[in-house]
Amino acid sequence: MAEAEVNSYLVLGISLFMLLNSAALTVYAERRIASFIQNRVGPNRVGPFGLFQPLADVVKLLLKEDVTPIHSYRFIHTIAPIIPVVTALMTIAVIPFGEGIYVTDINAGVLYLLAVASLGVYGVTLAGWASNSKYSLLGGLRAAAQMVSYELPLGMALASVVLFVGSLSVVDVAASQEYWWYLFLNPLGAIIFIIAAFAESNRTPFDLVEAEQELVGGFHTEYSSMKFGMFFLAEYMHVVINSMLITTFFFGSYHLPFAGYWLPEMSPLAKAILDVLVFTAKTIFFIFVFIWVRWTIPRFKYNQVMNLGWSKLLPLSILNFFVIAAILFALNAA
Amino acid sequence: MDYLYDLNTFLPATIMAAAGLVAILMAAYKARIGNIFNFTIVALVMALAVSIRDLFGPDGTAFFDMIAYGGTAAFGAFLVTLGTLFCVVISRDYLEAIDHHYREVYAMILFGSTGMVGLAVSNDLIMLFLGVETMSICLYVLAGLIKGEKIGAESALKYVLLGAFSTGFLLYGIALIYGATGATSYAVVAGAAEATPLFLAGTALLLVGFFFKISAVPFHMWTPDVYQGTPTTLTAYFATASKAASFIALVLVLSRMIPEIEGVELTQLLQVIAILTMIVGNLIALVQDNVKRMLAYSSIAHAGYILVGLAAGTPEGYTGVLYYLFAYTIMNIGAFGVIAYYERNHALDFTDVHNYAGLGYKFPVMGVLLSVFLFSLIGIPPFVGFLGKYYVFAAAVNAGLVTLAVIGVLASAASVFYYLRVMVYLYFREPHKEYQLVRPGALFKYSLILLGILTLWYGIEPIFPTDSLIELISTYY
Amino acid sequence: MLENYIPIIVLFGIAIVLAIILMSLSRLLGPYRPNKNKLNPYESGMDPVGQAKERYSIGFYLVAMEFIVFDLEVIFLYPWAVGFLDLGLEAFFAMTIFIVILFIGLWYTLKIGTLDFSMKPTLANR
Repeated sequence: MAEAEVNSYLVLGISLFMLLNSAALTVYAERRIASFIQNRVGPNRVGPFGLFQPLADVVKLLLKEDVTPIHSYRFIHTIAPIIPVVTALMTIAVIPFGEGIYVTDINAGVLYLLAVASLGVYGVTLAGWASNSKYSLLGGLRAAAQMVSYELPLGMALASVVLFVGSLSVVDVAASQEYWWYLFLNPLGAIIFIIAAFAESNRTPFDLVEAEQELVGGFHTEYSSMKFGMFFLAEYMHVVINSMLITTFFFGSYHLPFAGYWLPEMSPLAKAILDVLVFTAKTIFFIFVFIWVRWTIPRFKYNQVMNLGWSKLLPLSILNFFVIAAILFALNAA
Repeated sequence: MDYLYDLNTFLPATIMAAAGLVAILMAAYKARIGNIFNFTIVALVMALAVSIRDLFGPDGTAFFDMIAYGGTAAFGAFLVTLGTLFCVVISRDYLEAIDHHYREVYAMILFGSTGMVGLAVSNDLIMLFLGVETMSICLYVLAGLIKGEKIGAESALKYVLLGAFSTGFLLYGIALIYGATGATSYAVVAGAAEATPLFLAGTALLLVGFFFKISAVPFHMWTPDVYQGTPTTLTAYFATASKAASFIALVLVLSRMIPEIEGVELTQLLQVIAILTMIVGNLIALVQDNVKRMLAYSSIAHAGYILVGLAAGTPEGYTGVLYYLFAYTIMNIGAFGVIAYYERNHALDFTDVHNYAGLGYKFPVMGVLLSVFLFSLIGIPPFVGFLGKYYVFAAAVNAGLVTLAVIGVLASAASVFYYLRVMVYLYFREPHKEYQLVRPGALFKYSLILLGILTLWYGIEPIFPTDSLIELISTYY
Repeated sequence: MLENYIPIIVLFGIAIVLAIILMSLSRLLGPYRPNKNKLNPYESGMDPVGQAKERYSIGFYLVAMEFIVFDLEVIFLYPWAVGFLDLGLEAFFAMTIFIVILFIGLWYTLKIGTLDFSMKPTLANR
């Protein structure tokens, strides 16, 4: 069917707006779903059903004092929170929300995503180091080591998807799932990617770096007011972004299941609306999964985290990649 | 490109790499060190057999002109595998005696030799760099084998820092040459080279990287400290196999990559470096009391003699270089091997020459062997060291570099002092006290005896009317 | 083709501006009354003990080194993954050797426990 011709900047503006809003809504959703799981009532005072709670949180954070500890490295302490926010925002540039609806189609989109994810480690490390406090330093190092260790299975899982697509463009990845989702063709890769995505965004069960019981606040102990708010915001944006990545790479992006077989012809406008709705629904589902897992599973110890990443996920992802490459090669040669 | 045929030409390195992978897994699963040793020996014997087969095989290039086979390259692979085999054979008992017999040593040696063969057969600057790095990193690890003691840490750290720095020079030179000519393959570079400053700067930096590896003056500062801090049999490995590989690579670079360019006097540069190396190496060796350091400086001096042959630049010169490398490998492993034999258990400072008093009578066979190797190192007939020096200096004289040859002979004459000093202590001094030396096993002793016999045999070979080694090598040019 | 990257640069600019606006808002809107107790590093309410830059576990260096090696492996696998169907059997064989060598390296590292962050010392009882 004819692709919708949408201006990139229109998509950019709308998706940026939606992303920021969805990060705020995810904060609210987390507290409500957590309360539902824990059999209590969450925030329901501020606005209808408590929907303005995130707004109240932001206003509160803005009005608090911005304390910078006296022995910290001022400049780095100030710019460190910017990095996770910026890297989270930059990932939406390559994600397709529908057929023809994307900000830009660079031919190395997968590498771009991987690079941006790697840059996010800087924010954590610099924050931990610049605060010049023991808790922050150790927390920052552990967070950095964990994020860095799980980037490897993440990259390998994405590489195993690239084997099927034959191109590094994310738009191609999304378009090629019209018939079969990669969840069915590459289930092990999907599992590895989901686990690595949890670890990359420092969500439970991998959130020991900000575990209140252990390291106070970990790398963001010494941050207050909006700088802390930005770490907070960045974490929830990462949840949304990772949900988007999971749907894009493994769950068919904007396609309905096996859509190529049964979907009738539609006008571009109707198809675009359908695509965006499907994509949004899948993303919301995965945000729900992220929150659900957080309030269900206890957190890992640090050595368990590293052991899982290096001893189990990395060899498994390499083997997965190799076996898929061998099978595809044999099928092609036949 | 016929893949299997190309793989066949690179077989010594492939065998050693595969054996190294198996050896490292055996080490991870804590196999008995004796089993790892036996496995390594089997792999090295196979690699040696294949490399000897390649000596008589055809010439050519493989893997898209990245590696050369036959001729000089095959001789380089042969030298590396020969040196590695002998060093591994004498390493087991020695490392056992000094209590640093780690399981991973054999895997490191195998990987290092793979890198060395890769370096010796390289026909492309990228392959050159790959070989240098693979070899160097394994050697850095081996240099620091004596963990927990300052001497091992000093040796490893100096080697790593200086080696990494010089590899940086090498890489920068490669980048500049690529920028100047648009290619990295030797033949293409030779065709496209002109005497532009960019190309000359690249060549100079490349040569600096090489001079570090062959420990030519003024890039020799790492040699004594590194050689002293490494376990002695591994010093033999460093001094022979890695130097041989680097020299062969240098021969290939000089003969195939750097063409005759107007106004470029490469021979002058090599002459100056050769003179400096010979003089400095011999001078400083004169004042050394520690036998290991003395042998380290002597190896610097021998690098100088080999550079004389390189400075000649004629086919006869390259023939002399290859023959000298063979001679040097045999006699140097022998000398270091006997030094290792004498080293006492746990007392790594036994290598002071005063401790050698009277040892010639207590261990007669080893005394005779050490004398043989020392005479060969001086260059006295009928040993192979003499023939090596003869071919190299004859080539220099025939190329018109008479001064160079004269300086070489004078330096050799000066070296008599410090080599014979050891023998004086062996035979003409009273022993200090009762020595309790750990006696290494039969394998150690017989391999050293074999080396001694080889030194003698190849020294007197020319008087037999058979196909000699020198004739084989001269067919390469 | 390069014009595809312009929206990314625009997005980068917007993101940075947004972040800076947020941070300066908090500076403007919030009070600023520094006193000594607030500015000290937080150690559960106690006075700070010792320097902040104390030595930390060497395991972190090892993790970083291993990450570099295997990240480069992943990077080398990407171009091959894009074109492996067209490159033929020889390229497949070569990449297999590459993956096997690195896998054996990973196997060795894991077996001798360099990345083991649990408290018991591993190298002391080899």
